[in-house]
Amino acid sequence: MSGFLLKRFLQAIFVVLVVTLFVSYAIRLSGDPALMLSQGAGSVTEEDLANIRKGLGLERPFLVQYAEFLRGAVVGDFGKSFMGGTPVSKLIADALPATLALALVSLGVSVLVSVPLGIQAAVHKGKGIDQLIRIVSLVGLSFPNFWLAIMLVLLLAITFPILPPSGWDGPASLVMPALTMAIILSATNVRLVRTAMLETLSAQYIMVARAKGLKDRVVLYKHALRNCAIPLITYIGLQFGNLIGGIVVVERVFNWPGLGTLAFEAIASRDYPVLQGTVTVLSVMIVAVNLLVDIAYGLVDPRIRTK
Amino acid sequence: MKPFQLKTLIAASSLALATLLTPSAQAAGTLNVAIHQDPGNWDPIATFLVSWGAVGSQVFDGLIMRTPDMKLVPGLATKWEFLDKNTKLRFTLRTGVKFHNGEPFDAEAVKFTFDRLLGEEGKKGPQQSNYNAIEKVVVVNPTTVDFVMKSPDPVLLTKLAGYGAMIVPPKYITEKGSAYFGANPVGTGPFKFAEYKPKVSLSFTKNADYWGGAPKVDNLNYRFITEPATQAAELQAGRIDVANQIPLAMIDTLKKDPKLAVQSMDGPVALAMRYNTQRGIMKDREVRKALTMAVDRDAIIKTILLGNAKPIASFQGELSFGYDPALKPLPFNPAQAKAMLQKAGVKPGSTIQIDFRGSDSNFREVAQAVASYLQGVGITASLKPYDTNVLLNDIIPSGKTGEMWQNQWGGWTFDYDNTAYSMYYTKQRWNPFDDDAKLNALLHTQRNTWDQAARKTTLQEIGRYVADQALEMPLYSLNTIYGLNKRAKNLALPADGRFRFVDATVE
Repeated sequence: MSGFLLKRFLQAIFVVLVVTLFVSYAIRLSGDPALMLSQGAGSVTEEDLANIRKGLGLERPFLVQYAEFLRGAVVGDFGKSFMGGTPVSKLIADALPATLALALVSLGVSVLVSVPLGIQAAVHKGKGIDQLIRIVSLVGLSFPNFWLAIMLVLLLAITFPILPPSGWDGPASLVMPALTMAIILSATNVRLVRTAMLETLSAQYIMVARAKGLKDRVVLYKHALRNCAIPLITYIGLQFGNLIGGIVVVERVFNWPGLGTLAFEAIASRDYPVLQGTVTVLSVMIVAVNLLVDIAYGLVDPRIRTK
Repeated sequence: MKPFQLKTLIAASSLALATLLTPSAQAAGTLNVAIHQDPGNWDPIATFLVSWGAVGSQVFDGLIMRTPDMKLVPGLATKWEFLDKNTKLRFTLRTGVKFHNGEPFDAEAVKFTFDRLLGEEGKKGPQQSNYNAIEKVVVVNPTTVDFVMKSPDPVLLTKLAGYGAMIVPPKYITEKGSAYFGANPVGTGPFKFAEYKPKVSLSFTKNADYWGGAPKVDNLNYRFITEPATQAAELQAGRIDVANQIPLAMIDTLKKDPKLAVQSMDGPVALAMRYNTQRGIMKDREVRKALTMAVDRDAIIKTILLGNAKPIASFQGELSFGYDPALKPLPFNPAQAKAMLQKAGVKPGSTIQIDFRGSDSNFREVAQAVASYLQGVGITASLKPYDTNVLLNDIIPSGKTGEMWQNQWGGWTFDYDNTAYSMYYTKQRWNPFDDDAKLNALLHTQRNTWDQAARKTTLQEIGRYVADQALEMPLYSLNTIYGLNKRAKNLALPADGRFRFVDATVE
């Protein structure tokens, strides 16, 4: 197990390195931040632009800039934002809790909703309740997240003003963004749980368990659920990447002060250090979750532990 | 359950939820304002963003100030005069003014401000280039300073009324450093900095000792909200009092709400479709004129912009110095346009490409309308949307545009010089194509005279000349639109977005 973990850990570091190298290079292709910064200035000369670039440290070769970024990143120092000079680590430290809260709450809500619904659909396969759950999840799948977000704002913040439409004003602000994400996630999760459960329920050991006269509830939640947990954990782990992608959009509509908003604005304003910092943190998060998924395998299924 | 009952139930439960969930009502005397972007730094020399200007005038003062109707009036200087054949500009300073940290405002502070702006510190930022005409600032006595000029800059007084030329406290900056100052600004303005949460909010308390009279509201709170639709939603929810980005489609909805108001006024932003005068059929001036005449700009303003714009004949609006009311836009006349195209030998079905800012949904419709008008005279236009920054900073400066491209210009100085010079002077950043000696000479002449009457004549001549050469299809000057909560009074909304809420009250 430890050899396996070490290998996976080294792989994870490699992935993060490749991602940051690629992103650092790619954003430099997107254009010159000095031009962005002087956009409204009356008559900017080449000399002015060169001064601004020098002030930002952009006159040095790319690999030197990247090496410097890496050296800082190891100790959590991502440099300073081009737009204003705030340390990137401070911007990220401010934004990270908001994104994590949104990701974890929506993932949690989605699991709590989709696991029981998926099981019910599987147990009552082909019956009315199954049909209903499948139709509802299909409707949920068809919503684009930004549209759903805007509809929720119209309904719950304007027509019936019970929730703040955007920003962060305490836990009430979390409801709509998390709901948006949870609805989208649950729609896919329900279908996944249903399929995994159906497969498990047709296995021989379930029939044996039933033949032993075990209660339905024990068969379902103790024997069957544990066995279909692996594909579920894998999927939810992989989904984390998508979840982060969706959060960028949802954060924007709700003006959520998270990493998505930060990354989006950094791209728009060619703020290299902020983008590098946010992408590094996001990729570390996604890679770490995938690593945890691998470890979780071992916990859930003893057969993997001994391999 | 009947729908009616359901609705009542939802309403009742939402009321109950509301008391649980909604944060406590806004404290009396707090004005809440939405701004579309966080410039990230409150140091006047660090940024050029309009969103900085929208906030900067609350905390800082310039030597000169601009009223909401754009007139220049005394600020921290009570008067000014030109000396030594306009090579020197002498300011008499206001006395008894203190910075928010208690430091006195005097001639040394003015000198410090400009030494910083024009020196090494200023080199790192974009503001310096606007003040390069100043050679140095000399202290005559504690209440008098001289600006020694390197070259004439007729727009200097306007520039001293804003942005980079705001007066900053020497002792505070020397002791705390520029980085700290950028996150904890101190000025002489009507509001004192209280708290800054990057990307989230910025709050101020009133400066009770303000030399111009204390503000009426106790607190001023800015929230950074990028999405116009989200700004509108926040306004509808009553959580902000002033929104500076309102989607046109939302105007009617907001107007119907008895608590809200919408104000639409002449603004600084002008739009044009610039022509690539070096490409294909566009080399011919008559062709360019024909294309301009093929498009019904009045109809576009009325139907797409819902009347929130005015047609223009040169690349500036009515508020701009150098605007010529006598210069009329070319009339919409597709028949004549067709004849002109035929005469120029343009074959029906000729294709051109229009580059525009893809993120601007209103302009996307405008571009589509332009394309369909051109179709009407036999020109097939393809639309190519770009990311705004890519179009502005890469495609245009490197001359990689199609036959036509969207150009939108803010002109914060409200002086045609700024626009015309950047757009038409040879090899300027947004002029990849035109190289016209006569135009260069005119631009040079107006920039090197202090005589405003003579300048105005020259600027109007430039406007006429550009129109005659048909270097662009002038479209319209866009209104500045604010969404307001009626509980806020006496807002004195400025056309250029640079608020100063000194007299504002909140019910």
